Amino acid sequence: MEITVTGSNPTLASLQHDFDVFSWQSFIALNWPANADGTPNTGITIGQSPNIPVVWQSYRESRTIFLPGGATPPPWGQDSPLPPVCKNIDASHLPPGTMRLTQVGKTPNVLDESAEPFKTGPLIDQNGQYARFSIMTNESMFNYIITNKLYSKDGQKAFNADADFPSSNTSTQQLGSIMIKTAWVKMGGKYDPAKFYTTYALVYNNPSEEAGIKPSCVLQQVGLVGFHIAHKTADEPQWVWSTFEHVDNVPTVGQKPTLSAYNFFNAQCKDCKVNEPPPRPWNPATPFTKPTQAERVIAITPEAQQLNAAYHQALAAAVPDSVWLNYELVSTQWPTNAKSKTDPTGAPAPSFLANTTLETYIQGHVKQTSSSCTACHNNATSTTGNPSDFTYLLQRAQ
Amino acid sequence: MNSDMDNFVGLSAVLTGFNQSIIAPDIDPVDIKSVYLPLFTQKIAKESGNPALTGQILQKYSTLSAQGLTPQQIGTAMLDPGNGAPFVLACRKLIFMWYAGAWPTIIPASGTSPASTVSDIISEDSYTSSLVWQVMQSHPMGDSNYRYGYWAKPPVPLSDYTGN
Repeated sequence: MEITVTGSNPTLASLQHDFDVFSWQSFIALNWPANADGTPNTGITIGQSPNIPVVWQSYRESRTIFLPGGATPPPWGQDSPLPPVCKNIDASHLPPGTMRLTQVGKTPNVLDESAEPFKTGPLIDQNGQYARFSIMTNESMFNYIITNKLYSKDGQKAFNADADFPSSNTSTQQLGSIMIKTAWVKMGGKYDPAKFYTTYALVYNNPSEEAGIKPSCVLQQVGLVGFHIAHKTADEPQWVWSTFEHVDNVPTVGQKPTLSAYNFFNAQCKDCKVNEPPPRPWNPATPFTKPTQAERVIAITPEAQQLNAAYHQALAAAVPDSVWLNYELVSTQWPTNAKSKTDPTGAPAPSFLANTTLETYIQGHVKQTSSSCTACHNNATSTTGNPSDFTYLLQRAQ
Repeated sequence: MNSDMDNFVGLSAVLTGFNQSIIAPDIDPVDIKSVYLPLFTQKIAKESGNPALTGQILQKYSTLSAQGLTPQQIGTAMLDPGNGAPFVLACRKLIFMWYAGAWPTIIPASGTSPASTVSDIISEDSYTSSLVWQVMQSHPMGDSNYRYGYWAKPPVPLSDYTGN
């Protein structure tokens, strides 16, 4: 559950490797086929039985924690009622692990409500459809929110302190807080479901996101294109930030595209502006929007590529046609000086990290502007203004 | 024998008053020292007309350090006028570079204007790594790692910033 440091005189490079290994181990554990209660099914291995939910799909969606009026969320393990707009869908017949994808921007509420100076926006896939996103928490994090009544503004007001979510600790065998952020595209058209980890999702258009959006809800098959893991560990109070992507997502800036087709890039398009959000108004119900022309600004390092190859080999050894061979680690951001008294971000390495599906428009190397998991989330507060321990979720309380 | 980088970092710590663990930590994701040493070497060679001067400065520091002198004694010896004006000026420019994240250029007096110094920021990282922010117990303009509401609390002691 914690990072294993190899070697007696670690270097920046060797530690990056150790954290990247931790990321891959986490990815495998979280995407392991699950039992009905969300625990890993140790009778099978990752990549087998691709139609059953994986471990993280039993985590709680943020929408089911921060309820209207600050209502108390249903306890862990209990199904949440469907959004009202999805009432026409018979909940008793939803496939196992069905998700409720409501967001068309990574953190639309937070960014909209606090006027963050980020140029963000929806990500449009090659079928002209809006990508969808979800944020989920594990039981440890969920319990902390429930115990301290942080799911409501009133509860946060009464709490009136800095949040301090539980950390994973190997010595105590405690599993700490984990957040999962995922990005999805609808299957069909230019997307072959055989190349993606797929699930069924209630995709609904949320009128509170943008003016002019009419509520609607459709059950659709979606494929995973982006996967963030944020994990708070005993020695990394700034959390460890791992990010994975589908291998076909985008080419890298300055490098010749090598694939015949990408998930978010069209080599034939000569007038497409790279990493530019679509013009407003943004409405996910639009039948077709010009696809985003996305490229990766910071290349995946050769060391990470080497590690990806090693893990792909291991995954293929377990299941030769494993769908997880289509996913790769971009990098892991971790604090190099976690105990710094003068820098609450802990001097993260690498300094910048972005997932092209989740931070498409804020990639780069400019401080306070380009994507850095730790630097951005260090600014997070609850609705009372108290630091919220590197998560913006608490701002969703009503 | 220490490497040029070891001597450069050691000398920089002595002259700035910061601990090596602050200006050049063992695990160093920014690694500004690797920008500063070649830049210092190149600038000093060009400005002094003596390509060997940086080597002479680092060698003197190495010698003094090996004698077990205190940082104060080493600093005093390095800035001794007896080392020669170019030597001392280079050491002073080293201090300026670390504190300002910029390189100072001295413009001699002319018939109409007095001597002046202009400085050029070396890079984005040098700007945010400038030690001046640390001794102010503050943060660079436009780049703060402090959390919301930090201004309502006193800063941590200066010694936490300098490491000494």
